[in-house]
Amino acid sequence: MKIVVAYKWAPNPQDAEVRPDGTVDLSRAKSAVSEYDPVAFELARRLADATGAEVIGLTVGAAAIDTPLARKAALSRGLDRLVLVADDALAGADGTRLAAVLAAAVTAIGEVDVVLAGDSSIDVAEGQVPLTVAGQLGWLGLSRVSSVVADGEGLTVERDLPGGVTVLAVQTPVVLAATADAVVPKVAGMKDILAAAMKPVEVLALADLAVPGAQVSLTTLATARPAGGERQAVLFDAADPATAASQLVGALRQAGAL
Amino acid sequence: MDFGLTDEQELLLGSLDELLERECPESYIADLDLTHQPPTSFRKALNEAGFGSLGFPEEFGGTPCDAVTMVLLAERVCRQGLNNGFGLELLQAMDILEFGSDEQKKEILGLLAAGDVPFALGFTEPGAGSDNSAMSTTAVHYDGMVTFNGTKTLITNALQSKYLLLMAKNPEVGDKRKAISMYLVPMHAQGVTTNRLDKIMWNISDACEIFLDDVTIPESCLVGVKGNGFKQVMRNLDLERLVIAATCLGLAQCAFDDAATYAAQRVQFGQPIGNFQLIQLKLTDMAIKLENIRNFVYKTAWMLDNDVPLKSQGALCKRYSAMAAFEVADEAMQIFGGVGVTVGTRVSRLWRDLRGHRFGGGTDEIMVHIAGRQIVKDHS
Amino acid sequence: MNASQSWVLVADDTVAAGLVEVARTLTTEVVAVVAGRLAVAEAVAHVVDRVVWLGEPADAPVEAFAPAVADLIAQAAPLAVIGATTPGGRALLGAVAARLQAPVLSGLGSVELADGHVVVTRSMLSGVSEHRTGVEGGTAVLAVDPRADVDTAGSPVPVEEVVAPPLRTARILDVKVKEHAGVNLDAAKVVVSVGRGLKAQADVALLESLAEAFGGELACSRPLAEGVDWIAKERYIGISGQHIAPDLYVAVGISGQLQHMVGVRDAKVIVAVNSDKDALIFAQCDYGIIGDLYQVVPALTAALRGTA
Repeated sequence: MKIVVAYKWAPNPQDAEVRPDGTVDLSRAKSAVSEYDPVAFELARRLADATGAEVIGLTVGAAAIDTPLARKAALSRGLDRLVLVADDALAGADGTRLAAVLAAAVTAIGEVDVVLAGDSSIDVAEGQVPLTVAGQLGWLGLSRVSSVVADGEGLTVERDLPGGVTVLAVQTPVVLAATADAVVPKVAGMKDILAAAMKPVEVLALADLAVPGAQVSLTTLATARPAGGERQAVLFDAADPATAASQLVGALRQAGAL
Repeated sequence: MDFGLTDEQELLLGSLDELLERECPESYIADLDLTHQPPTSFRKALNEAGFGSLGFPEEFGGTPCDAVTMVLLAERVCRQGLNNGFGLELLQAMDILEFGSDEQKKEILGLLAAGDVPFALGFTEPGAGSDNSAMSTTAVHYDGMVTFNGTKTLITNALQSKYLLLMAKNPEVGDKRKAISMYLVPMHAQGVTTNRLDKIMWNISDACEIFLDDVTIPESCLVGVKGNGFKQVMRNLDLERLVIAATCLGLAQCAFDDAATYAAQRVQFGQPIGNFQLIQLKLTDMAIKLENIRNFVYKTAWMLDNDVPLKSQGALCKRYSAMAAFEVADEAMQIFGGVGVTVGTRVSRLWRDLRGHRFGGGTDEIMVHIAGRQIVKDHS
Repeated sequence: MNASQSWVLVADDTVAAGLVEVARTLTTEVVAVVAGRLAVAEAVAHVVDRVVWLGEPADAPVEAFAPAVADLIAQAAPLAVIGATTPGGRALLGAVAARLQAPVLSGLGSVELADGHVVVTRSMLSGVSEHRTGVEGGTAVLAVDPRADVDTAGSPVPVEEVVAPPLRTARILDVKVKEHAGVNLDAAKVVVSVGRGLKAQADVALLESLAEAFGGELACSRPLAEGVDWIAKERYIGISGQHIAPDLYVAVGISGQLQHMVGVRDAKVIVAVNSDKDALIFAQCDYGIIGDLYQVVPALTAALRGTA
């Protein structure tokens, strides 16, 4: 069985500098494996260990996502090998475009049974791309996955949905997006970190992949800083909590907030 | 000169940070210090993540590691506020790996793998501290057995260990340096009794008197060559001093960060005390000391990794690091004032624990003896 | 492209009023494609102009109908497709987006028509900035909060059943229904929220008392609802949780990360309690107390009750 873990190498927008005109400067923000993706790595490794499957990491983006540190950061998380597409044509690409490239890469890897992904990315935070990948591949795509185990011919998948925990019998191939708390991922171990540099990495050229052209395009008409962020804090020191508390309550009452 | 981290070191430290956040928060350490308990769950977690087999040869299931990486990790763990948080047990186990029999190696490595402290170092006696060749514990061999008699004291972690790495002398050999041998003695052997000593620092490590009363066990407990006890211990002393220095660095950095944060927040006379020159003087000089300790520790590690003979370097590094680190903690205590001695503020624990490193692992004064002698030798 | 038509994607849920609202802003004709039970199709039939129903799902998950939905949309080529920001909704949107090679627009503020083009304002990168974006060259694909049940007053249009076989690779075996927390944070005027500053689950009681003293509801940041699971997931405020705009939001032991604050940006008054004077939240609040929540929260509760 082949399991592909699709993950993102991206900065936390918390570290971005937002200019007054609303444009965003991420140049000083450090990229890392997106916050919830380690859950997908862990699920993949557990599934692979139970079935003898291979775990292949996959990520796509601009040229800057391919650095030795980035490769090792992923390879130290239970991957057998890594596949990358790193091309500046993908800088600023929207989710559908990224999904198309991911899907083309999955097809290029060939005979993939499961694509596992995390809950949502640290920067865009929508949880859409894995499901668009499923659409691109023509496969079933299920999000909110809290458990996946091999079961006879297929998989038994549990999903943490608003209505309740749903249990499904699923045949491969399938795209599964995990919840952020499906498992507590193991910390990247010493042996894995030190062995990461030795694991195979394949870089796929964007030009070689069968990626459909974008049909619908977006035009940015205006950018702005979000409203509601400018508040002037009136601060009370809790050296004496009782005094601070009564001062706060007084201030809130005066402002009509209570 | 490249002072940067390699990718692997960055990833290792990142992993360690995650582990520390999950398994070793301040509340955990404070509780251990209060109840005088060892950090067993954290050690196990470190081990599960593979950090416990660091620096061992691969043939023993270890992960070879350079000294610089080792001290980076030791510093980071100790910076969390955990004394002796990383490295010391590993180092001590090297003695067995280098000189022990296959059976002994297997046994010790198994214990390390389980996250246990494999053995306590049984060197110090009531009459033999810095002057350890004055030890009087005897080891008498006959008929394939060996009998031990004597008293050890201030032995760290005896209650947590399955074994004692005992140094004892053959009463028939005159030359002190050739009389002492190294033995791996089970703590539960008949005739071994312990008496826990109450102390005010290093509370996560117990300290005991150990009484050996006609303890008789098979000779196979000998580690290495009979009579080579001292020689064998010497081998890893420099690395041990380095890890102690890295421990001091981490603890001192922790104290400094706490004090600097406090100075930025504590308001007296209408402003943060960090605005006052005398506080700034303290913080500046503390920062200089930390930079010095850091450079000393990493340069020494680099020398080890590049096979540059250390000569007096190990002793110089340990002496400076322990003394300067304590000075940093002492000034940190002063900055905190009364708050610093209340439960809930960790600076007093850091201060207590750092004080111990000025005599643990070789006193400040013995370091002078070692380094001074070497310096004169180098110049004659 | 059929510029007078928008389609809403209904994923087995009558909570779809938000989708129809947006559709009505853009076009006169609104068509609903319903994957899921007949009862859902019948409810939606009250608020749209045409309902296309893909048949009883039996034990197939709604996601199995995504390719069939994409086929219908591709044929219809509407001005806009609107789906829900729910697991099922996003799956249907994903298939449509892939088929049309169109980006999915989320985090939407306003949606309007300008010169025949769909123009939206949307929150970018977890709320760090806002863009006004125009869609060109094809169908606009929008992900929207479905908000509430559709209103079933008024007369329904007929439900047209279309034979559209779903993917047959999954079967639902069981659903372990959850007790619903029954929380309505949207309606609460005061919300008291707690974050990682809280050390133990037992301490949630402190915050419950504070919420009660304020006459408000309890909420939390993501780490307390996931992982440790100390507070119900429905009470989690943040980028992928609740977005609320209460009169008063009291954030206790919350650092003020972007991903949390984006959920309460529109609160009238924000109060922060945190022991770290450098916490991000102090730059995003109207009032703050720098102190240990374990001392401040009881003091605040007492002050509110007049028992200080």
